[in-house]
Amino acid sequence: MTEATADHAHHDHHDEALPGTIGHVSHWQTLVKVLVTLLALTVITVLVAQVDLGRLNVVGAIGIACVKASIVAMWFMHLRYDKRFNFWILVGSIAFVAWMVGYILFDSALYQDNIREYREAHPLPTRPATPSGDH
Amino acid sequence: MSTGVAEPEKSQALPERPKELAMHFDSLHQQYNAGKLGVWLFLGQELLFFCGLFTAYAVYRGNHQEMFHYAHYFLDWKLGGLNTVVLLTSSLTAAWSVRAAQLEQRKTLIATLVITFLCAAAFMVVKYIEYSHKIHIGAVWSSHFAVADADLPAALTERYPDIKGEDLQRMGMGTFFAIYFCMTGLHGIHVLVGMGLYIWLIIRAVRGDFNRKYYGAVDFVALYWHIVDIIWIFLFPLLYLIG
Amino acid sequence: MAGGTVEEPSSGDVIHPKVHYLNATKGLKSWLVTLDHKRIAIMYLIAVSVALLLGGFWAVLLRTELLSPGGVGEQANFVLSNDWYNKAFTLHGAIMVFLFIIPGIPASLGNFILPMQLGAKDLALPRINLFSWYLYIMGLIFFLGVLFLGGLDTGWTLYPPLSSGRPVQMSLIFAYTAVFILGFSSILTGLNFIATIHKLRPRGMTMYKMPLFLWALYATSLIQVLATPVIGLTLGLSMIEHVFKVGIFLPQYGGDPVMYQHFFWFYSHPAVYIMVLPAMGVQSELIAVYSRKHVFGYKAIAWSSIAIAAIGFLVWGHHMFVSGQSPTAGIVFSFLTFLVAIPSAIKVFNWVATLYRGSIDFKAPMIYALAFIYLFGIGGLTGLFLASIATNVHLHDTYFVIAHFHMVMVGSVLTAFLGGVHHWWPKLVGRMYNETLARICAVLVFVGFNVTFMPQFVAGTRGMPRRYANYLDEFTIFHQVSTVGAYILGAAVVIQAGYLVHSLFKGKKAPPNPYGGASIEWQSTSPPDFHNFTEEPITTGAYDFENWQYISEDEGYKLKPKVLVTRQSLSEVH
Repeated sequence: MTEATADHAHHDHHDEALPGTIGHVSHWQTLVKVLVTLLALTVITVLVAQVDLGRLNVVGAIGIACVKASIVAMWFMHLRYDKRFNFWILVGSIAFVAWMVGYILFDSALYQDNIREYREAHPLPTRPATPSGDH
Repeated sequence: MSTGVAEPEKSQALPERPKELAMHFDSLHQQYNAGKLGVWLFLGQELLFFCGLFTAYAVYRGNHQEMFHYAHYFLDWKLGGLNTVVLLTSSLTAAWSVRAAQLEQRKTLIATLVITFLCAAAFMVVKYIEYSHKIHIGAVWSSHFAVADADLPAALTERYPDIKGEDLQRMGMGTFFAIYFCMTGLHGIHVLVGMGLYIWLIIRAVRGDFNRKYYGAVDFVALYWHIVDIIWIFLFPLLYLIG
Repeated sequence: MAGGTVEEPSSGDVIHPKVHYLNATKGLKSWLVTLDHKRIAIMYLIAVSVALLLGGFWAVLLRTELLSPGGVGEQANFVLSNDWYNKAFTLHGAIMVFLFIIPGIPASLGNFILPMQLGAKDLALPRINLFSWYLYIMGLIFFLGVLFLGGLDTGWTLYPPLSSGRPVQMSLIFAYTAVFILGFSSILTGLNFIATIHKLRPRGMTMYKMPLFLWALYATSLIQVLATPVIGLTLGLSMIEHVFKVGIFLPQYGGDPVMYQHFFWFYSHPAVYIMVLPAMGVQSELIAVYSRKHVFGYKAIAWSSIAIAAIGFLVWGHHMFVSGQSPTAGIVFSFLTFLVAIPSAIKVFNWVATLYRGSIDFKAPMIYALAFIYLFGIGGLTGLFLASIATNVHLHDTYFVIAHFHMVMVGSVLTAFLGGVHHWWPKLVGRMYNETLARICAVLVFVGFNVTFMPQFVAGTRGMPRRYANYLDEFTIFHQVSTVGAYILGAAVVIQAGYLVHSLFKGKKAPPNPYGGASIEWQSTSPPDFHNFTEEPITTGAYDFENWQYISEDEGYKLKPKVLVTRQSLSEVH
């Protein structure tokens, strides 16, 4: 949050904004640059996934996705120029998401043995498949 | 703010009050900020709405690595990647539509709104192709999952020549597809809702409702659209790429 | 009208407005499409009262069935078959939780009072407000659908595999849909309140100058926005599972039922605070007004609301001590659960400190407020027993749990709801109710409550399990006393409905401020104008009761002249 500016439109440094415009006007070149960055990151994430890095694949994919999401939030969603409270709503929601995912993941890993036992006693049923006929 | 609703004493408003300004606000700026705060809170709840499915994904992935490894052969990253590009592009045009509304460039506004809508439609077409293929070969949810050996993806049989469709059933591959269909399905519903909202915006833009001080609807729908995009940014690598 | 000269406080000016929000426009349609928060609040009040009576009806049936211990087999039952007993407690729980307690105070009283306490003309998003009412009504209709489709016997928690694992059942689908829709109604109300508090506070009213009711509603709204979507998703998924046999929660298809409970309680525990926080907010207002004293420890009460909201998200696993969650998680959740006691106790101590040396007026709302302290105290403290794992395993699924959560949820929410309705009734409808009857009913509610639930604590510790239609003879006396209590409670609520409705037609016209409240809503007429205030309200301290003086001619309070000077000087500045 370098420029969490608030209420009034800061259009003085954007000569193109009309007088009295509400909110921040993004320059079209900025928007295009953001899209190019996002596309580049998409290519990178696809390329990284082709290499087998073990557990690092997950970390890398989620990491790049987080960077992409932050770029969308900061520029496309104007959070860089928006009221700071809206930024904190986003951060707060993410914190609750992390808490929920994290804790349930932690707990589920601990009770997996019960599930494994149950599954061994009750294997999933299988059913015959009909070929689609495409081959 | 257009629908006329029975409210007495319309005349009480001072003459210089803009027609778009609701009676309980002092200025359009206040009205815009209040709406925007409401939208951000809505987006916050959207994240928690999706959160349950991400948790389910994390729990099953964390405890059944092998299932997700085999599963990713079923998904075509090229189609997923294409949809990513489509959705990112629509995000650009959505952001651009806000700019056009702010600058009162009506033609650009209508054009960007239409492009956003078309991208959303293209996304759904690709989604339809993916879904129908999976349903066709029987790669569907839970107990309905039954893929014949002949229909297994080539990349999978190349890597694991001995694998049988029945092994995948026993492994619980149906659970992966349950999660896959729920996550992409819920996301798809959001895309459909977004398409509806963009039609509404196009109608209003053609009618000339928006100006530099009153363009909240364009901005708020764009914010919604960006969050739909952000969720796809996560779904793409989690489902299509890492195995 | 605005500005004007300083008037001596006396009768003579119009205190009973001819035109107000209730008659500003006429006809059913003017209500159904209204964007006025006051009318929407009244519509909510009617709807939640219907839900309360509906839920109460099932409670009375359940208690009647439990008058006799019954025996083995169907023929031994009293009024309900075993099957209908299960359906009755499911419907009682689901209707009370989703249709009464959760929306009860915020959507009715909160909707009416919140903008008025801010001196605003409406909520920030009036269309969203009306939409949320329609969602609520849709939810109500779906629940009635459940009833007409033969009822539902899963318990209000809808745990799989008992619920979604059964063959496709229409009433279950309706129940899922109802809760899903009601969830979104609740979310929309919550985000509207937050936006209103942030964007429509008048100049000069900082967060720390807001009435505590608004702090409580703010904390409630945060939970509504952050927790409710999770139940929406969970029940939506369950519905899909039920219809399409998807295995995310269902073990027979490879799913994990414990995960359902995690999801369910991630919402439903914070939901307990969605229920109780607005009640605490009403409580803070009542205690201060009827003690005629500035509330003690303002900031402590305000921040304890936020603390309760935050801690509420950390404790959901204490509902799952015996249902397959790992012991490690159980220990962590047990510890975290104890933390909730701290902000709750802070509130109780501050209310009691507010009473100290106040000039206490035992009006009906105050009797409810005092009952609240007592019932919430018992309910809260028994919660600590249940928070420790060892006792919990012993008491789990017994009547002790039933008594505990009825004390803490219903005991506080019902007393605060009734207290709040009585306190604001003159403002809501412009009429006074019969004070004597109201006091008698307040005492009856308190007595009825204790007679109902105290025996259940004892029966529970002796091993009476919940959700059983028949029981051993040794529990007979506890059940019979409890049933008598339920009848007293039911009678009190029905009498209340009677005299409140009667007051609408025959009640004495209310002055603007009959009880001497100092928050801004009392500066409007009773009932308020369509635009809430006919002249700009003065932002005075919400608990500065010394600004108001009693005028015996009006039988109500008026702002003192020295405060009115502020308005004049303000209008000169403009």
